[in-house]
Amino acid sequence: MMKSVFQIIAVVLIGSCTEKDPIFNASFYECKSEIISNNLQHPLANTINDLAKDFIDKGVPGIMISVRDKEGQYTTSNGKSDLASDVDLQPCNITRVGSTVKTFTAVTILKLQEDGLLKLDDPVSKYLPKSIFGGIANAEKSTIRQLLNHSSGIYNYIQDANFQTASLNDLIREWYPEELLGYSRGRDAYFSSGTDVRYSNTNYILLGMIIEEVTGKPFYKVFEEKLFHPLQLTFTSFAAEDPVPDGIIRGYVDLYSNLNLINATYYSGWDYYSADGGLISNTADLSWFMEKLFKGELLTSASMSEMTTWVAPKDQSADGFETFFGPGIFQIMTDFGPAYLHSGDAIGYFASMVYFPDQEVSISWASNANYGKIDDIIQSRETMERIFKSVLQPNPSIIK
Amino acid sequence: MKRIQFAVFGSFLLIAHSIWSQQPVTLSIFNESTAVSFHDLVNTPVHPGVQIGTEFNWKENRHFRLYPSISIGYMFHRKLFQGLFANLELGLDYKTSFGLNLKSKIGLGYLHTFSTQQEFQFEGGKYSSGRDKGNSRLMPSFTSGLGYRLSPERSESSEIFVLYQSWLEYPYSPGFIPLMAHTNLHLGFKFYPL
Repeated sequence: MMKSVFQIIAVVLIGSCTEKDPIFNASFYECKSEIISNNLQHPLANTINDLAKDFIDKGVPGIMISVRDKEGQYTTSNGKSDLASDVDLQPCNITRVGSTVKTFTAVTILKLQEDGLLKLDDPVSKYLPKSIFGGIANAEKSTIRQLLNHSSGIYNYIQDANFQTASLNDLIREWYPEELLGYSRGRDAYFSSGTDVRYSNTNYILLGMIIEEVTGKPFYKVFEEKLFHPLQLTFTSFAAEDPVPDGIIRGYVDLYSNLNLINATYYSGWDYYSADGGLISNTADLSWFMEKLFKGELLTSASMSEMTTWVAPKDQSADGFETFFGPGIFQIMTDFGPAYLHSGDAIGYFASMVYFPDQEVSISWASNANYGKIDDIIQSRETMERIFKSVLQPNPSIIK
Repeated sequence: MKRIQFAVFGSFLLIAHSIWSQQPVTLSIFNESTAVSFHDLVNTPVHPGVQIGTEFNWKENRHFRLYPSISIGYMFHRKLFQGLFANLELGLDYKTSFGLNLKSKIGLGYLHTFSTQQEFQFEGGKYSSGRDKGNSRLMPSFTSGLGYRLSPERSESSEIFVLYQSWLEYPYSPGFIPLMAHTNLHLGFKFYPL
């Protein structure tokens, strides 16, 4: 009797405090435009479709993959854009692509140097007031170049336990750049500027502020003027303009590493307004951007030389690819030769974009889930090698 | 579910027995936060919780009181989790002559958390929304605070207290985030019901 009473109380208590996901019609997720020149007859179409299906079979709720090579572009998708509404994910849907924005930030900085508005070897203090960089170790004397290639040594605010718990404490809070910089203040630098490299989101918050200082415009407006519009990236926008635009696919987190997912679509407020994250796009646009960038259609040859100048960390990760740091991009050494890469997480979303210069092949994939077991499925070295092997023909002459 | 039923039932029976045995009841409301201990006293937004318990006498002299206590409770962290818990603590109070108590406790509890969001479970190669079976957690804790005895001269005095409880949620996300730090800021009242 008592057991039954307890069960009833528990079910009522727990059940009444559980939010149900809203239900949308499929029309809510209709794309605003189609992907131009999607080559459905691409020789790799079946291979890429199988790759996408494999992600879904392993537990990813939704995936999109794009490949661009000499046969043209092929973009596919599998899974759901919204689990509660049971709507299929479309290749043209928009999603959060997180830190891939850093490549866009870096290219924008290089274009501003081409315009004569800044120089990479100028210190941060030339462009930003002390009220911004004060208290952040290494920030005053670090150069723009050191921010770009993560050789500044500036502490990464995301690593701060107080930030991590505070963001979890209020999952729908929207954070502003000045607040995020606060979590780097008073923290030791990782190393003296220019003596090593270590990834830090703080570098890119400062770069966004420098873009605003030299142009007098919000950095994401400069992205639009210099990149989104000229490249006709019709699916790409920045979150600050509309943090959760209609039609963006639902994002999910495997917070407890058990493939039990919850909807995290509204949880990414820490990167809505800073240039270290916050990009909304899809894999078709990311692949197009990477191809245009590394085929030299965006930057001058001098800027491209900067873009492909690499710095090696003193210690390489034991279980990852051999990695070198460039401005807003990494070079990894794969079995198929060097690849230029940037990946990005937002809460509930993951994306990665890769360009193989030797083969002139661009590959992007994005999922609407991350963390926990999902991370192993979508972004492990094994996953990346499987994708690369499926798309590229091995070339023994360039195997490292 | 059986573990939490056992823990909560056991604690419930002990608390009920203590009331019958003229032992004190402690009742508090609290604000739960995911937070690093002692970084901020009050965090927002408020994630409400309620806790009921009792204390047992063990050792006591003029200034010190050492006592075990048990409690059960519920907390609701918006957008993240809700949890039912049973907690066993060992408390040490320093009593002043004018009624102020300096309080400290160490504890170990069992917490069963449920998502506050609709959960989608991967079964048979696809996701579906099923019953949330919850997650089992340990919650080691350290608590400090102040109490004020309303009748300082009486050993069985009612007491108003404010407690700052730091606790860990373990395991949290195996292979991803091993444990999570929380704080509960309690405002409570101890009284003798009979």
